[in-house]
Amino acid sequence: MATLPIKNKIRELRFFADEMTQQELAELIGVTRQTVMAIEKCKYSPTLEVAFKIAEVFGQSIDEVFQYQSP
Amino acid sequence: MNMSFREKSIWISLVSTLLIFGDYFLNIISLSSLPADAAKAATLGLSLRALFLIIIVEIVCQAMLAASNRKAAELGADERDKLFEYKGNNFGYTVLVIGVFITLGRIVFLEINPEIIEQSTLLNIPLLTAHILLFSFIFSEVVRFSAQLYYYRSSH
Repeated sequence: MATLPIKNKIRELRFFADEMTQQELAELIGVTRQTVMAIEKCKYSPTLEVAFKIAEVFGQSIDEVFQYQSP
Repeated sequence: MNMSFREKSIWISLVSTLLIFGDYFLNIISLSSLPADAAKAATLGLSLRALFLIIIVEIVCQAMLAASNRKAAELGADERDKLFEYKGNNFGYTVLVIGVFITLGRIVFLEINPEIIEQSTLLNIPLLTAHILLFSFIFSEVVRFSAQLYYYRSSH
């Protein structure tokens, strides 16, 4: 599966959030660690609900976390 | 290998289905050389064995998997799991529908040309229509599991 057009800076945000692990983020947003990993690698685009939850965890707006880059 | 609980669970289902029903269908094909009554009895025995085995293997393996990944098992399917399940179901359903239409076509064809049954030894397998339907179902399950695993592997 090719990388998707929705990019994100979750890895960077995790780093600045006291080096939060993928597992910790996954538990906070109610998905598996593998799903967080797939989102980070832009191999899976989350639903709006999960995207909002991720943004909320880091105290950012959704467009600060996710960016659409047309292919 | 970095696999989620759901992915491991699908691997168990795929492997157990392939092994148990692969063996079942190979045995069914060999029944064409037996007399009709003996073949019917053997078919019943094989069907019950396959059914019993798949239930036991699935229960035992899935329970062991859940016990070793208790947290993940309690979380259930997340949105990515559900998406892949939905996509896999689409593939599986297509295969099942094709199998049903092939079976229907066979029934109609043999109704019009009944002499074909007597000429072919392969067509003398008892309950062949049921086996074709069962094969369609099992094959659709294999396709469904395989499609889901493809999506899981592709998103790593």
